[in-house]
Amino acid sequence: MSATPTHGTPPEDDDFVAAEYVLGVLPPAEKHGIERRIETDVSFARLVARWQQQFDGMNTEFEPAVPPADMKGLIDKRLFGTVSPQAAPLLSSLAFWRTFAFAALLLAAIGFGRDLLTSPIAPERQLVASMEADGSAYHTIAVYNETDNQLKVSLVKGELPTDRSLELWLIAGSDAPVSLGLMKSSQTSAFSLDSLLAGKLQDGATLAISLEPLGGSPSKAPTGAVIAAGTVRGI
Amino acid sequence: MTPEGISQLISRVALRDRNAFDALYSSTSAKLFGVCLRILNNRTEAEDSLQDIYVKIWNKADRFAVADTSPISWLVAIARNHCIDVLRSRKPVSSDLDQAADIAEPSANPEQSAIATGESRRIYDCLGQLDQARASAVRGAYLNGDSYEELAARHKVPLNTMRTWLRRSLLKLKECLEA
Repeated sequence: MSATPTHGTPPEDDDFVAAEYVLGVLPPAEKHGIERRIETDVSFARLVARWQQQFDGMNTEFEPAVPPADMKGLIDKRLFGTVSPQAAPLLSSLAFWRTFAFAALLLAAIGFGRDLLTSPIAPERQLVASMEADGSAYHTIAVYNETDNQLKVSLVKGELPTDRSLELWLIAGSDAPVSLGLMKSSQTSAFSLDSLLAGKLQDGATLAISLEPLGGSPSKAPTGAVIAAGTVRGI
Repeated sequence: MTPEGISQLISRVALRDRNAFDALYSSTSAKLFGVCLRILNNRTEAEDSLQDIYVKIWNKADRFAVADTSPISWLVAIARNHCIDVLRSRKPVSSDLDQAADIAEPSANPEQSAIATGESRRIYDCLGQLDQARASAVRGAYLNGDSYEELAARHKVPLNTMRTWLRRSLLKLKECLEA
C-alpha cells in the first residue's frame, strides 16, 4: 500500500491498529475510540476499509441460517411501530426552523400589522427538510410553500457536478421514491409540484437527492448513491 | 441476488423505502443470522442481535453510499461488529478463559476452505503461508470473535506476547496479500 503519513503517528502503527480493529480483537474501550476516529480521520478509515476488504474472503465461512419467521415483524415494530428512528437528530433542526418561522412571522407582523389585526390569516402550510448524509459532501435545505406549490431546494454545502445530475426524490410513507426533477442551480432550484405530489409532501415524508447519470435516472427509481436525505417537517 | 441488486436495495433503504427494506431483509437475513450464530454461539443472543443489526442497517443505510465496499461485505461488517460488542459486554464469568480454551479451534488448513473462490482465495493462500497456530489465531478472531485475552489463553502466552505475535502475522499477511 502506498498510504502516505498524514499524521504524526507512523503509518505502520495505524495500519496494525486498523487490522486489529477489523479482526475485532481490541478491548471495548479501545474499539470505541477507534470507531470515533474512523468518523473523522479519512486516511485511517481507508486503512480500515482496506483490511476489511482483505479479510472479506473469509465471509464465505459464515454459514447462512434462516432466522425465526417472526423476526422481521419484531424489527418492523421496533423501527416503525412506536418510535420514529429519526426523531432525535431532527429535534435540533426543528427547533431551528421554528425559531426561523417565528422570526419570519414577527417580521410579517411588523410589516403587515394592520392586516393581522383586522383579519386573521388562514394558517399557511410551510414545510422544511434538512437533507444531508454522513460523510457526504452535500448538505441541502428544502422549503415548501403551499401558496405557490413551489419546493425550493438550496445547496448549503457542495457543488453541482458537471458530469452527473443530482435528482430529487420524494418518498411518502412506504411508497416507492418519486422523482421531483433535477437540481438545476448551485444555489436554489425550484420544483413545481402538482396537486398529487403536493398532497404527498407531508410531515414525516422523506426527501432525498441521488447522484445520477446526466439527465437523471434512466429508470423510474434512483440508481446512484444517495448524497443527502432528510425528513420533511411542518413548521 | 446480485451485488448490484443488493446495492440498489440499500440505496433505496437510505431513501426510507420500506419495500426495499423488506426485500433486503429477505435476501440477506440468513447470511447475517449465520454471522450472529457463529460469533455468539447462542441462539437467543443471536436473535436479539439480528434485530439490532437490521435496525442499524435501516438507520445507517445512507452511509453505504460513501463506504467503498461490496454490499454484502458492508452488511457482514455491521453484523460482525455488533456481535463482537455483544460478546465483549457479556458479564465476565471466572471460567471464561477456561471455556475459551475449550472452544474448537477453527481450521488453519486452507485446503479445508475449498469453498473459497476467486478473490477470497487470496486470503486463504496467504493464511496458508503463516505458521499454523498463527493462522488459526487470525481466523479465530475474524470468525469467532476471539479477543486478545481469549487468544492468549488458548495459545497459553501472555497478552502482550499475543499482541506482538498477531502483529507479526498481520505484517506477513499484508506482504503476501499485497504482493
